[in-house]
Amino acid sequence: MNSTLLARPAFRKQVLLHTAVRFQGFLGLLIVFLLGVALAPVKDETNLFLDVTNQMNILRYVAETGIIAIGMTLVILVGEIDLSVGAVLAFGATLTAHLLTTTQIGTLLTLIAVLISGAAFGFVNGAVSSAFRIPSFVVTLAMMSFARGLARLVFGGVAIPLLAISQGGAAPEDAFFVNLRLGGVLPVPALLMFGVAIVASLALRYTPFGRHVYAVGGNPVAAHLSGVRVEFTKVLVFALCGVLTALAAFVHAIQLNQGAPNDGFAYELNAIAAVVIGGTSLQGGIGTVAGAVAGAWMLGMIDNILNLNNVQADVQLLIKGALIVVAVALQRLQRRA
Amino acid sequence: MKLKIAPLTLALLAASTLLHAPLAQAQKKYTIGFSQLAFDDPWRVAFNNQMTKAAEKHPDFKLVIVNAQRDSSKQVADVETLMQQKVDALIISPNEAAPLTSVVKKAYDAGIPVIVLDRAVLGEAYTMFIGADNKFIGSKAGAYVAKWCGEKNYNPCNVLEISGLSGSTPAQERASGFREGIKANPNVKLATSVTSEWQKAKAVPAAAAAFQGNKNFQVVYAHNDDSTEGGYIAAKNANLDVSKMLFLGIDGLPDKNGAIVSILQGRLGASFVYPNGAAEAIDWADRILKKGEKPPKKVTLGTDEITSANAKAMCEKYDCEAK
Repeated sequence: MNSTLLARPAFRKQVLLHTAVRFQGFLGLLIVFLLGVALAPVKDETNLFLDVTNQMNILRYVAETGIIAIGMTLVILVGEIDLSVGAVLAFGATLTAHLLTTTQIGTLLTLIAVLISGAAFGFVNGAVSSAFRIPSFVVTLAMMSFARGLARLVFGGVAIPLLAISQGGAAPEDAFFVNLRLGGVLPVPALLMFGVAIVASLALRYTPFGRHVYAVGGNPVAAHLSGVRVEFTKVLVFALCGVLTALAAFVHAIQLNQGAPNDGFAYELNAIAAVVIGGTSLQGGIGTVAGAVAGAWMLGMIDNILNLNNVQADVQLLIKGALIVVAVALQRLQRRA
Repeated sequence: MKLKIAPLTLALLAASTLLHAPLAQAQKKYTIGFSQLAFDDPWRVAFNNQMTKAAEKHPDFKLVIVNAQRDSSKQVADVETLMQQKVDALIISPNEAAPLTSVVKKAYDAGIPVIVLDRAVLGEAYTMFIGADNKFIGSKAGAYVAKWCGEKNYNPCNVLEISGLSGSTPAQERASGFREGIKANPNVKLATSVTSEWQKAKAVPAAAAAFQGNKNFQVVYAHNDDSTEGGYIAAKNANLDVSKMLFLGIDGLPDKNGAIVSILQGRLGASFVYPNGAAEAIDWADRILKKGEKPPKKVTLGTDEITSANAKAMCEKYDCEAK
């Protein structure tokens, strides 16, 4: 980029817009944060929004959506979609409660088993879509129904209570590490979300796999011609999305003291909303994991600000809807520019 | 560029206008936080209305109602936010017991009086529980049927039961209570039981199928009034003489689709109020916060029998939408 190019107004406009879209998740997060500080009620000289406890409550609450949104980002980057994550979360959460309360395999093996179950759901999504050339929209819609049905069937259709032995339940104490707070402040679910985001970002940026993901989403034909195994990459991405959904499921079950086959309803929509608000293009090839985390965080922050100001939940839905449209509109404007 | 960020600016402006309104009226008084599991069915809407009405009687109470949209995760976050707002008392109707137990305990341990309504949490870490007794209400409905069949001198007096979601606790209790209640009259026969999963739309075909096999029914009892209305539609479709039949249900809601209006309009014959405890919760919040009273751990609510004889009075009492 040289100074003559920058001097041209049209180009400068494009660069500005490009930057705005690229970082729209963070810009939005910053704006929402500042709005939150400005609008929050003040009680006993504390800004209720800014209060550390409140910020940590928000992070704890958004972590599940954030973790799923990271997996969803990968899927959307390769130009696909995964509508099954809510149902897969329900299965994973119920499996978590089942394994922790009725078997003696312990926390680590339970976590591994749950992650494998998630990988299996994701693998089937990707493999069926690839093998039969069915759009992932349809395959994962079918999986949404299948995984939900399986969760109800296998575990008897009722929620499984998940309490530690010391609380009168049957689960090992160490499973509840999820409820701890690092340094007494940062909730473990948020730590997991940031950890996963950092690993995924680095992998996307610095590994061949990451470059393949962007290549497949940007132009599958070109990717194929340049030797990228397109279908393999897609199946792997679906499996990873399943693994991350399963991780969120484990966190979900521990946080809620139960695994319920009816949980996770509409989580796929929240995850997709977070990804889109974070600046990832639904056409594939463009977007970042950090944007998705910012998107999930922003949605949680908005819920919190509205709750602190006693604005009813229906308005929260309106604002979420409006935000999604604004985010996508910004992307369109960039393409046209 | 200016033009292009206009939508975002507009959305944020709209948000800020919405947010400023409630801020203006903030003043120093008792804040009562009510975490409601959902606003999406008429029973919960009436619940919220009655809570608001009860709170309005206390000028020093500021009631804050939050909606968890049937999501236990959201309800945990809602209670945390209410604690963040430093509410003086917490009233909660929990979505599910196990997921809400720890956050309720957190509030209770922080010294906030916690009143749990309708659905329970696990353990004892709350101030009081106020709820209704489905089995008792079911038995009142059964006793009413026994009396009605006796007065009409029907023998046998055949009952079609339309059950709620099978396996759910309220459906089981409303069924078993009813069976106890009808024992008072041996002529009452529970001829057929179908299920509607609480939905009027599913009650119509279920009852229609029952009437297909047997037109000799004198009573239609559903576990909720909505499903009774479905049974009424099916009976009319099957050309049964509804004027000679008794249609009754449970809930006794005051909204314009509810049982009180239906009884006034002559469709339902009777309904039994399934109370929500809103007024009692506000009353107890007042006594705990201002008079320092120690409430009982558990309060079980009774019911009101609504029939054509008292429907007008009940309409007054529950502020019904008969107009």
